[in-house]
This record gives sequence, C-alpha cells and structure tokens, in this order.
Amino acid sequence: MARMSYAEALNEAHCIAMRDDSRVFTLGEDIGEYGGIYRVTKGLQAEFGEQRVLDTPISEIAITGAAVGAALVGSRPILEIGFVDFVGTCWDQVFNQAAKFSYMTDGRASVPLVIRMACGAGLGYGVHHSQSLEAWFTHVPGLKVVMPATPADAKGLMLAAIDDPNPVVFLEHKFLYEVKDEVPDGRYTVPLGKARVAREGGDVTIVSWSGAVPWALKAAEQAAAEGIECEVLDLRSLVPLDEDAIVASVEKTGRLIVCHEACTTGGFGAEVVARVVARAFDFLDSEPLRVAAPDIPVPNSLALEAVYLGTRERLLEAVRGIVS
Amino acid sequence: MQHRKWPWKTFIFEVERMHEISYQQAIIEAMVEEMRRDEAVVLMGEDVGTFGGLTGTTVGIIEEFGDGRVLEMPISECGFVGASVGAALKGVRPIVEMGLADVSLVAMDQLVNSAAKMNYFHDGIASVSAVYRLWSGFRPSGGAQMSQSNEAMFAHVPGLKVVMPSTPRDVKGLLKAAIRDDNPVIFFEPKGCYALLGEVPDDDEVIPLGQAEVKRAGTDVSVIATGIMVNKALAVAESLAAEGIDVEVVDPRTLRPLDSGTLVASVCKTGRAVLVQEANLFCGYTAEIAALLADEAFDALKAPIKRVGGAETPVPLSPRMEPLVVPGEAAIESAIRSVLG
Amino acid sequence: MSLSPRDLKQLFRRLLLIRRFEEEAFRLAVAGKFANYHGGMGQEAIPAGVCYGLKPTDNTMITHRGLGVLLTRGVPVGEIFAGLYAKASCPTRGRHPIFHMAAPDLGILAGTTMVGSVIPLATGAALAARIQGTSDVTISFFGDGSVNRGDFHEGINLGAVRKLPIVYFCENNFYAKSMPLEASTAGGSIISRAQGYGLPGEVVDGNDVVAVYEATQRAVARARAGEGPTLIECLTYRWTPHSTAGDREFARTDEELEAWKAKCPILRLRQQLIEAGHASAEELDAVDVEIRHEVAAGVEFAEAAPYAAPEVALENVYL
Repeated sequence: MARMSYAEALNEAHCIAMRDDSRVFTLGEDIGEYGGIYRVTKGLQAEFGEQRVLDTPISEIAITGAAVGAALVGSRPILEIGFVDFVGTCWDQVFNQAAKFSYMTDGRASVPLVIRMACGAGLGYGVHHSQSLEAWFTHVPGLKVVMPATPADAKGLMLAAIDDPNPVVFLEHKFLYEVKDEVPDGRYTVPLGKARVAREGGDVTIVSWSGAVPWALKAAEQAAAEGIECEVLDLRSLVPLDEDAIVASVEKTGRLIVCHEACTTGGFGAEVVARVVARAFDFLDSEPLRVAAPDIPVPNSLALEAVYLGTRERLLEAVRGIVS
Repeated sequence: MQHRKWPWKTFIFEVERMHEISYQQAIIEAMVEEMRRDEAVVLMGEDVGTFGGLTGTTVGIIEEFGDGRVLEMPISECGFVGASVGAALKGVRPIVEMGLADVSLVAMDQLVNSAAKMNYFHDGIASVSAVYRLWSGFRPSGGAQMSQSNEAMFAHVPGLKVVMPSTPRDVKGLLKAAIRDDNPVIFFEPKGCYALLGEVPDDDEVIPLGQAEVKRAGTDVSVIATGIMVNKALAVAESLAAEGIDVEVVDPRTLRPLDSGTLVASVCKTGRAVLVQEANLFCGYTAEIAALLADEAFDALKAPIKRVGGAETPVPLSPRMEPLVVPGEAAIESAIRSVLG
Repeated sequence: MSLSPRDLKQLFRRLLLIRRFEEEAFRLAVAGKFANYHGGMGQEAIPAGVCYGLKPTDNTMITHRGLGVLLTRGVPVGEIFAGLYAKASCPTRGRHPIFHMAAPDLGILAGTTMVGSVIPLATGAALAARIQGTSDVTISFFGDGSVNRGDFHEGINLGAVRKLPIVYFCENNFYAKSMPLEASTAGGSIISRAQGYGLPGEVVDGNDVVAVYEATQRAVARARAGEGPTLIECLTYRWTPHSTAGDREFARTDEELEAWKAKCPILRLRQQLIEAGHASAEELDAVDVEIRHEVAAGVEFAEAAPYAAPEVALENVYL
C-alpha cells in the first residue's frame, strides 16, 4: 500500500499498463512533457517516448477517430480529452464509430479504447469546463462507462478498462484529483460492473458515483449522529450497472435516494430509479428520490456554482425527509 | 388551404374546419405559413432548395420565398448549425433542417455548448430563436447510423427544448410554436409518423410547448408514449377495449419542458403506468418519466412501472430484425397485461 | 483611412489601458483573487487596432484572450474586473468567465471557450447581416490553436462560399497552450489555408498597431462592399502563460520571450509618437498615470461590488 492522490493512482495505472503491454499508448492535447492538465500523464513521455505518448493538435475529431482506427488494428490507445464538455466536438466519432464498430463488423473487429475525460464542477471553471454528461454515454449501446470515486478504484478500474475489449468512457472527477488515500501496490484490477458498499446501513440506500460519493458519505455520517443509518453504494461503473447490488440494498432498507452531481432531468439517476421501481417495487416503503443539480448550465462564480452544487446540502434533508 | 379573414368570424358557430393531410405535409404547411407570417423566419439545411429536402418537407418553399430565405448549406453541420446560432443572436429565426437525427451528432458541440447556452450568456438580452428539425427513428434499410432516436441526450441539456409530435395536427401546431419560441428547440420528427394521415384545422393553430395530451381516456392503466409509439399504443388500446380493458394513452408531445402535471394526474387516476419509447431503453427518456412518477405518484401506484423500449443494440438493417429491436404492439400489450397482473 | 496624430494618441491610450489592465488582472489572479486568468499581455495591438475603426453595430466575437476587445469596445474597466471577480455588477453577473460577456449594444456577442467553435457562430452573425440587409461586419477572433478544428474549416468555408461580411482574424502567438505551432499545424502556415477557400489572406505584424488597424480596415471595406471574407493572420506573442492555473510551457524559452518583449507594441508606438513630434514623453507618462488610476478605480469598484444573489444562477436559461 502507498498513500497517493487520485491523479497519481491514474498515472501509476498508465505506467503499469504501458510497461506490461507495448500495444498500449496514449494520446491527447498537452499530455507529453506538460503532463496533461491534471498531471495524470506526468513523466510518461520521458519513460515511453514520443511515439507512445503523443502530443496532438487541438483536433478532437481527428484524434478520436485516429484512436478508434488504431484500436481496430490491435493497438490499445488511451485517449485524453481534457474536459468531458469537449466531447460534443467529437461526439459522432464516439457515438457512431467507437461504440458501433464491434456491432457493424459482427464482432470481427473491436475497439479496445479508453477515453479519459475530466468531469464535474467545484473549481469555478464555468459553463464549458464543468459539466457532468455521463447520462449521454450510458444511453449508447456499445460503450462502457466508468466513474471512480477513490484513488484505489481509479487505479484498479483504469487497468480493467485498458484490458477491456470494448470502448470504455472513463470519467474522472476533477475535484477528486488531489484527494489522497491508500492504494495497493502493483497491478490489480477492479472489475467493471461491480458496485462498492462504501458504508453499510439499514435505513436508507444512497446510490451515488464519482464526486457525489464523498457527499453521500458525509451526509451518512451526519445522519448517523441523528440515528439514521444510511447505506452508501458507490456504483463505480454505470455501464455495466450492478443492478443486483442496488436492488439488494433497497430490499434491505426499503428506501432509495440517488445522488449525483449532474442536472436532474434526464440524468442517470432516472435510470436507477426506474430500474428499482420495476424490480423492487414491493420493497419500497416510500417514494424513491433523486437529489441532483438544478437544470441550469454551471455558473462560474463559486457563490453561484454553489447553487448548482446545492445537492451536497439537500442530501441530508432528503435523508431526514425520506425516513420521516 | 383556406384563410378565413372575416371580421365577424367569432360570431358564427365555432365549427372547426379541417382538412386531411399527412404528417409530412403538415410540416410543410407549418413552415410555409410561419415564413409568410414572419419575415425573420428562414430555412437552412442541406438540399432544402429545389431538391425539396432529404425529408421531402421543403418542397416548393424556395419557389415561394427565394434563395434569400431558403439557404442551401454545404455538408458541414458544425459550420451551419453554428452559423444558425450566430444568425439567431442577431434576430434571424432559422429553421434548420438537419436531415437524419444521427447527423446532429457531428454538430453536438454547437447544439449543446453554443445554442443551449447563449441565452444564459446573454442573460436575456439576445436569444437563440432557432428550430432544429431532426428526422429520427427506425426506417427499413436505415441501419446503425441512420435510424437513431437520440432525444434523451438533448432532453438532459438545460437551455434546449425538445419536442416530439406524433400526429399531423400536433406536428403542425407544435412546429409553429417552436418557430415562435425564443429558445433553441430540438424538434424530433419520427420517420414512422411521416406517412400518417390526419385532420388538421384550417385555422392558425399553435399548440403550446410543454402541454401533454390525453389521446385516449381510460381508467385501468396509463400508457405514456412518445412519437410513433403513441399510434401503436392507441392501436393496442382499441384491441384491448374489446376485452374490457380500458387503456388511457397520454402523449407528452414536449419532452423538455415536460408537462408532469398531466402525466401524474393520469397515473394517479389509473394507478398503473406503462412507458413506451422507440429508443433503446437504458437511460432513455422514459427513465425520466418513471423517476418522476415514482416520486410524485408513488402512493397511487398499484403496480411497478413498466418501461418498453428498443433493444440495447445499434439499429440493424434487416426489416426481419425490426420486431426485436423496435418495440411493437405485442410488447406494449404484454407490458399492459403485466401491470394489470 | 490614414491615422491622424490624434488617432495615434487615442490608440496609444487604448494600448496602454489594455496593458495596465492585463498586468493588474494577472497580478490579482496570481494572488488568488479569482480562479483563473487567460492573459493576453504582449498582444494588445490586435484588439486596439482591430476595434479602432469599427462601427458600434459591427459585431465582435472573442475567445480566451479577448479582454482587450471588451475594453476597446467600451465595457467599463470596473465591470470587466467585476466579471473577473465573478461579481454581480457586470453583464455576466458572475455566471460566466469574461469571454462569455455579452453587450450587444456595443456590438459584443458572447464568445465561446470551445476552441474554434466561435468561427461558425460569427459566420452566422455575418449571415444575419446579409439576410437583414444591413452593412454590419463581423470580426471573428481566434487563436492559432483553432485552425486544426473542424469549426475553423467549416466556418470559413461557409463564409467564403456565401461571400459573407466577415473578417476571420487569427491571433497567432505560436503556441496553443503548450503546443508549438509547427508541431500541430500541417503545411507550416495558417495563411496559406486562405487560398484553399479562395480568400485573400494577409499576414500582419501583430505588434504594430497601425499595421493591424490598416489591414483590418482593408478587410472591413471589402466585407462591407459585399466582396466577402478576408483571413488575417497577426503574428504576435503572449508574455504570460496560457493561464494562471499553474501552466508550465516547456517549449517557450526565455530568449524567445525577451526577443518578443523587445517588439513591445506600446513602446513602439510611444517611440513613434515622440520621434514624429506628436507627443512628448511627459505627455505620454501623464496618460499612463491617468490610466493607472482608472485601473485602480476599476479594481476598487470590483472589490466593493456585491456578489449576485444565488437565485441569479437559475435565471435566463430560457427566455
């Protein structure tokens, strides 16, 4: 075990994968000597050279298309798109090309590609650099969607994503990059599609992922002081979804709150609620709730951004409300 | 088409005069009437001139309005969608024919990061009054990149409105409302609806965005469906009526803003909900409706909410595979029976 | 089109105002007064020269380094600082970074930070002028980092094929964040791309405010006359990092920076004014004092300005 940040854990995963497998390479804007916006690729170019750590022009269509093409012929690219907000510029390449090749070639070709993107607000980056768009990716058959919440998961899920034969959208919360925790040494993987019980409890199930997991744990701690025991589930990957874990927890607690950072309407929380209502309806003691952002773009000033991030405060109220 | 302009019109009996046209013709009528009404309205897109549009809905428009208001665009969606946003900020009201809904993906950034956010940037001083027409959904011989229903992605974006009409009357009235709206509207026209015939009022009927409609009243179960699925649900409702099962069919018509009141009221009345969409199910739009109902109609629910949607695959080519991938009447019927238990 | 001594002194004042603003904004950002600042120090001649001859109804759309455009088109100094502080007393009301600041009555449409996406948008503003029959011209600003994006090619192609009243204005400072131009841009030249679209292209010394002004005036005149767009490439250099968020740029060397500092657009105009006898050093120094006061007052205004009420975050998502 070593104590390291989420960004450092991701960096270590890159190093391990690139040392073990010469097919793995990474490409993106400012990822070489500069080390990427969040220093995730720091030092990689010095170790692996410019042929395996490629600095690219600002041309998302070209680099995403090229990563898909390289994956089709047997490479294992890790593509960095600095902010998930930028994915609109290459959305066709992700949605229509990366996600569909395996289907279109009837399994004769696959796209073992990892697309890394930073998501989330909290740093005052404003409208075009703070969004959470995971719901888009989850609706696309053919993509897997991973959103780690801890340094140890970041490393283990990244190594699993690199091993996966499918295109994996790997969303890193920019507020978590500096968070430090214990991370196991060496190579290990955290399987995609397996949720983590971040805290056990019998009264309410809080389903969350990525940057919302710390909020859920904090609310659970505060609720415990009031005698309410929350079970916090960290989904880790949204596709595949560990539906069984969610249903099992709700069957135990009878109450569900889904908490995420993204806007409420059309967010992934809706899918979680819909699945629970279909499968665990008879176990529900009260209406399942979504606690998520208001439907607005992300404002810039920290004071106004706090309105967008008001989920943090509203979660505890929701917990109190659902048990009363 | 008849334009009645008598001043004493309001004193005569209100007999609504109607004419029967297809969904496709209703779109043409709406655009032509709006372009006559307001000079600021222009039409943009690929092949929208003498060719008449990929969708066949711009036929005859350039002949009437000329190439000053019917702007043929190169195959360059990111370019002309961006340009439509810039033009709208200066007071032009563009109707942008995107052709296939799939094509909107190459202009996703301009739609989501420019069109949807310019109102917020300009803080109410200037707005993006533009309509983006997307021809969506299954058609025989379409295949993986020409048959998608991607409304859920747009419905997740604050700043956009999202509309999906199911009948000729609705498409005409809603398109008129969309053109008059000061916000960017993503206007889905399911391919399956294009050939449908229906009565449309001769009058200038504008159907406000954000109003659902109960297409068939019933007491046993609420089927909430969008696009072409509305028509399939109605057919199922008719056949089940013979068995004494009374199905209510509700069409949200606008997905964003959603008329949650009508939907919740319906489910509170029937106690049972079946939600139907053409798109693949996972994180599709019916998830939003399910979550809404679970929250606001929880105590009224007598059974789990059942969703019916497309398979989790890209859309295959062969019409023989269609029944597996696109929800049909059988799937809707079986969902209704399952919630009736 | 030729500039009188009075015009030159006006330009000097604007250059200096942008410089003093840039310095202060950079200092405040480094001191942690606001989250991040994308400085354009060293590039002042471009906004000053481009905007000098524009009509208020002409449109400008900016990207990251567009501060000088906001200033020269008339947004008060205090309001821009308030924008940086994310305060209420400015057009953004603290909701967006200042590149999205909109002031349509001054001809300022909100810019974007999606690199290059502003180019089709500005093309649309020019399309509106064509549709509405006005004589307004649009200036689309963008950096060298934009030229490999689809938006650049699609936007310029559309403007060119329809001969729209627009000037495509590339501020080439040779680095897109950390990426040197020669490593990102095939063909070795931005301006040669004009030829592919059948447009006149002009390379201009971006640190010579008079040259920038004159080139813009030629392009604007063409656009107003219905002769279509021009691509202008201004060569310049930013003296500060891409942003104040701890950006390190290995490829940029100290020697390079010093060489460009020697070409400071403000010093050049100052010398010109003094040598031609249009102004004395004392007179220009007095302008500087006045501007420093103006900038200080702007900071004071911003510091004292209130934050917007939280509810403001929820407004005008829709009209």
